[in-house]
Amino acid sequence: MISPFQIAYKNLLRDRVRTLLTLGGIMLASWVLVSLLGFNRGYERALDHDIDNMGYQLMVMAKGCPYEAATLMLQGGTGLRYIERSMVDSISREPEVEQATPILMQAYFDPNKGESGGIAGYFGVEAATFPAMKLFYRFRKGGWFQNENAAEVVMGFEAAELEQREVGDMTLVPEKNVQLKVVGILERTGTQDDGTIFVPLKTLQNISETDKITTIGIRVKKGADVAGLEGRLYQLPNVQVVSFSQVKQTIMTLVSTTRVMVFSIAVIALLIAMAGVANTVLMSVVERLQEIGVLKTMGAMPSDIFLLVWTETLILCTGGGIAGVGLAFAFARGADALARRVLPYAPKGGLVEIDLKLALLTIGVVGVVGLLSGAYPAWKAGRVRPLETIRSAV
Amino acid sequence: MEGGQSAAIGNDPERGMTSQKGITLEARGLRRTYQRGTEEIHALDGVSLKIQEADFISFTGPSGSGKTTLVNLLGCLDNPTAGELDLDSRRIFGGGKIVSERKLTRIRREVFGYIFQNFYLIPTLTVRENVTLPLAFYRKPGTDGEAEKLLSMLGLEHRMNHLPGEISGGEMQRASIARALINRPKILLADEPTGSLDTKRTMEIGEVLRHLNRSAGLTIVMVTHNANLAKLAGRVIEMRDGRAHEG
Amino acid sequence: MKEQAVAISGAPGKGFFQALFLLFLMAVPAWAATGCDLNSPDRDVPRLFPESTRYRSNYVSLRADQLRSVVARLGESFRVLYDPLNVPYTIYEIYNGSEKVGYIHGVNQKGQFGGIQVFVALDLAGRIKSFYIQKMSGQWAGKFRDTEFGRRFLGISLKDFDSFDPVSGKGSGRLAKIRNPAPEMETDFYGVLRALKKNLILMDELVYSTKRQNP
Repeated sequence: MISPFQIAYKNLLRDRVRTLLTLGGIMLASWVLVSLLGFNRGYERALDHDIDNMGYQLMVMAKGCPYEAATLMLQGGTGLRYIERSMVDSISREPEVEQATPILMQAYFDPNKGESGGIAGYFGVEAATFPAMKLFYRFRKGGWFQNENAAEVVMGFEAAELEQREVGDMTLVPEKNVQLKVVGILERTGTQDDGTIFVPLKTLQNISETDKITTIGIRVKKGADVAGLEGRLYQLPNVQVVSFSQVKQTIMTLVSTTRVMVFSIAVIALLIAMAGVANTVLMSVVERLQEIGVLKTMGAMPSDIFLLVWTETLILCTGGGIAGVGLAFAFARGADALARRVLPYAPKGGLVEIDLKLALLTIGVVGVVGLLSGAYPAWKAGRVRPLETIRSAV
Repeated sequence: MEGGQSAAIGNDPERGMTSQKGITLEARGLRRTYQRGTEEIHALDGVSLKIQEADFISFTGPSGSGKTTLVNLLGCLDNPTAGELDLDSRRIFGGGKIVSERKLTRIRREVFGYIFQNFYLIPTLTVRENVTLPLAFYRKPGTDGEAEKLLSMLGLEHRMNHLPGEISGGEMQRASIARALINRPKILLADEPTGSLDTKRTMEIGEVLRHLNRSAGLTIVMVTHNANLAKLAGRVIEMRDGRAHEG
Repeated sequence: MKEQAVAISGAPGKGFFQALFLLFLMAVPAWAATGCDLNSPDRDVPRLFPESTRYRSNYVSLRADQLRSVVARLGESFRVLYDPLNVPYTIYEIYNGSEKVGYIHGVNQKGQFGGIQVFVALDLAGRIKSFYIQKMSGQWAGKFRDTEFGRRFLGISLKDFDSFDPVSGKGSGRLAKIRNPAPEMETDFYGVLRALKKNLILMDELVYSTKRQNP
């Protein structure tokens, strides 16, 4: 015995092209919707991960524009702004500060990198305080340098991979021609640190012939008044303060405009697809009014006909929704790559995070919206009077 | 789907009949008037007749004579403008009350089976699926296995899994007869059942209907233009200008 | 100071961009890490292959039997420090119009102070048309990147390594006649030669032997 579900399903096969086109529209709308929802979730998580992996919540650096500094570094390492090492001690004494660590960034020109040379960058860090900021670091081999004056380096995974370095190998600081021994190679962190070469702070200061630093990383105590600390730090002469939570908020604000726009497009796409569903089902009802009349002569009640037509809508929307979600899973990496191209800042890690819960939510939304759009055609079909639709030659 | 309900139904015409015995239809002064713009069309002008159990009645007459209108009223597909209709002594139409489509559907599915000129088989369902289609909405007890029996009786066992597009016109009409009979109706209404068929198949269908009437005692009410087909019926009633004339 | 505070904590302003770029500054950008690709093929290909009009990048992997053959032909362990053994190799196919005229291919080699990236441009017979060290570390690395040093390799093919062993540094023929331009970097000089041999063997396995089998 045939079931109403089978009747509905087979009705959709009557005009396969029309059914496929309608399914295609729903599939595309679902794909966009679930990808966007996945992006919403993934971006914030990836950004959180990047910022958490900085290890500290605040940074203090010399006043001036780091953009210029970056450009100047790329052009040869001159023009960096410095701050006094002693500032670390005064900041450490602030009640909200759990730990402060001094950092010196330096860059040297390597004429043997690429056709016209390139910059080799180094990060001078304190063995006593910096590792404590990055407790999540794991070493592939070796470990941190043991004393602050050691002629040693710790390399990020990708930096070591590029230089084909193992623990025990030597590296050379260009321009200065200072040899340093590799004592540790980190596992991938999924952050910018993968490309970093860490040197003991004093060693780098000696190489650079300076006793100053460029940055102070600050970890704040849990529950501390970060805003209050920031306010006091702003009062320090010739420095500026960067709060990563504010950075995150600012980035999220920037990105949220994009998100709202894309979300609107997804909603519009969904509504257009649903209008297509309503139109398809309505057309198919109008085309078989006589058949519906005959079904009523067989004993189908108006509610039976309503459910039959509504089931067709449900099949279309669920099928299209599942196909769209499937496409989203399959092309998540492509969506990730596209997002990276378009966004002003894209953290490392997956930007588009789609899981089963999100997939089911999307299919649910598509199903519900679809049922709403199929209600009118189903109601119209239910109201058909057999006599008005069945015609015989008399 | 209310397949189990009919066992509990009493002699309420709106809820259907319990009896498996034959049924009588009695029409008194049935009128049907349509409004076409400002004009009133009197399609039926006071028709009275009685249909007994196991009758095979054929309504003939020219186009516009009211045969289909009458059969539609007898088959509870429409409300009359005036007049009464009793089904086994129970009043269906009368007293000027309009019977709702919902109530008419309940009566129809208990009592009537219908076949039409254009077959109206669903093209994406197989013959077997078309025949069992009514059971998806309403199922009387004891109809298990009925489809295979009907298809075999009507010579369609080898076409069960074919689509309507793969069978002949005569086979399609036989399939629609099987569909009309699946829920064991008391009365089979056939509106121009051979209108789309050639002479050979017309007589085939006529023989099928006669066989159903004689061997199974099925009451058949048929509308036809075809005089040869009409002769197969036990009673022939000619319709003229909305009135019935039994010869 | 207050102005700056507002810029950082309010809507995107100067402080935001400062923070953004600091995020990038926290780690110095690494050059292309895995595999050995030209830093700028659009610029490098015409320089290494002057008669080229266009190029196509192909990504090819070694089969297990090819890998065994490479190791046997190298005569030393084919040790890849970070990439898996079946990492795709980038081979640049060079065209003049619609006619293929040669290939460019690079390999990574461990040097004394850093990675050495050795590229060769080859004609269809497998002879060197250009020799280019894209990257090398060391105080005298410039001497190996000098065009004069590179010119000594023109016309050399894999066959020349039949009579010269870059591991021991012993042998005869054209390769044996090439002098180390930087005696202070002897290890890296032989490293360059070993990289060259590796490069030519890989090209033979991935390209030239296939051509010999399917002319």
